[in-house]
Amino acid sequence: MRKKTVVFIIIVFLMVPLCVYAGPPLEAVKTQVNKVLDVLRDSSLKGEAGKKVKREKIRNISGNMFDYTELSKRTLGQNWSKLNAGQQTEFLGLYKTLLEDAYADKIINYADEKVVFGKETTLSEKTAEVQTTIITKKADIPIYYRVIQKGADWKVYDVVIEGVSLVSNYRNQFKEILSNKTPDALLDTLRKKVGKA
Amino acid sequence: MKCNFHGNKTRRGIVKLTAYVLIMLSFIFIGYNRASAEESSPESQTVISVPQQETTPPIEQAKPAVIVEPQQKPAERQKAAAEPEIIEEEPTIQIADPIRPWNNAMYHFNDKLYFWVLKPASKGYSAVIPEDMRIAVSNFFENVTTPVRFVSSILQLKIEKAGNELLRFVYNSTAGVCGLADAAKADLGIPRQKEDLGQALGSYGIGHGFYIVWPFFGPSSLRDTVGLIGDAFLDPVSYVNPLEASVGITAYDEVNTVSLHIGDYEDLKKSAVEPYVSIRDAYLQYRKKKVEE
Repeated sequence: MRKKTVVFIIIVFLMVPLCVYAGPPLEAVKTQVNKVLDVLRDSSLKGEAGKKVKREKIRNISGNMFDYTELSKRTLGQNWSKLNAGQQTEFLGLYKTLLEDAYADKIINYADEKVVFGKETTLSEKTAEVQTTIITKKADIPIYYRVIQKGADWKVYDVVIEGVSLVSNYRNQFKEILSNKTPDALLDTLRKKVGKA
Repeated sequence: MKCNFHGNKTRRGIVKLTAYVLIMLSFIFIGYNRASAEESSPESQTVISVPQQETTPPIEQAKPAVIVEPQQKPAERQKAAAEPEIIEEEPTIQIADPIRPWNNAMYHFNDKLYFWVLKPASKGYSAVIPEDMRIAVSNFFENVTTPVRFVSSILQLKIEKAGNELLRFVYNSTAGVCGLADAAKADLGIPRQKEDLGQALGSYGIGHGFYIVWPFFGPSSLRDTVGLIGDAFLDPVSYVNPLEASVGITAYDEVNTVSLHIGDYEDLKKSAVEPYVSIRDAYLQYRKKKVEE
């Protein structure tokens, strides 16, 4: 009898982590990516005008999908504190536009391809990585979303395409600029970049 | 007599070379003609993937997040004390870049090479050759370079990968009709993999040394350059005689590859604030992932 109880308790305890890790990050990413794909595959939006509407819609979705404050802080790292409050706000806005464009440009090419959602890996207490693969005729492209828990939600703070992390890539670029220029000059470069795009 | 024979051979070589140059030029010409018409067409932008590859996802990509307290100047300390801010920063990969002026020049050279020669040639080529055939050509070259991946896998003691390479080679050469179809992936579920000697050296713990950008070959490092030279010895195309034929085949392979990936480099450049740094970092991150796999 006692043995049975012990086994039962052990089983119950073994089940607990399963419940906790039943994949809210994966679900969150799945929902958002599917929303984006639905927009991309919307056949009522055609031509240049349709493309514009699609971009705008993707922009709105990614506003909920990404945590731009987290992204900005992680990208600038120690340099974040070099910016004053006003500069931080402006940087956030500019960087957001830059990332949205980059993400929309990449994902728009995959409109007709199949997306497979893979496993999720826990990175730390509040962060996880969700693996997705885009299957194309020419190659399979791994895209990993790194997410962070914000309240009840999981928000994307980094996208890793074929092993290349977007945040790390931009961090090195901004680091380079800030190593010999002022934060104002960086903002100016970004303004020009975003304005042109 | 002997002299005459020699002369004939040289002349034949020149004729071949001229024919080759003419074909390239005609591709470029067609490409330029189409470029203006195709600019707005979504078809001109194909799929993204800077380096062409098929991979299994890495098991552990998790980097420990390092919590870094921002360094403060005394003047800022008071303000910071009021609202302490902790910024998480994952360590980035760095590489020495002592020959940056050379690298920078080569980066610009390759950039122009892409936009002025490779891209128009690839566009002209893809206007003539349908995509399925271009994929077949890419499969063929992949099959031919099996020795590179086989030896690299063996050197890393990746026996399973080496076995897969052998199996892929045998199956694709027969069932895949001389490697034109990737039958091993379709029938046996063994996907393409990427292995090279640079990766093997990396797996022994050898560092990059420093960053080098080669004309034509693009981003590399001291270690990966040594790997590239080794790869060339394992690549059957290197042994094609005469030399111009070997170079021609390599150039054709390149044009074919680019034709399948038009738009990738443009996107990369468009999203970058500092393209040189962006490409250098992307190369490092990509190689790091390959070495860890």
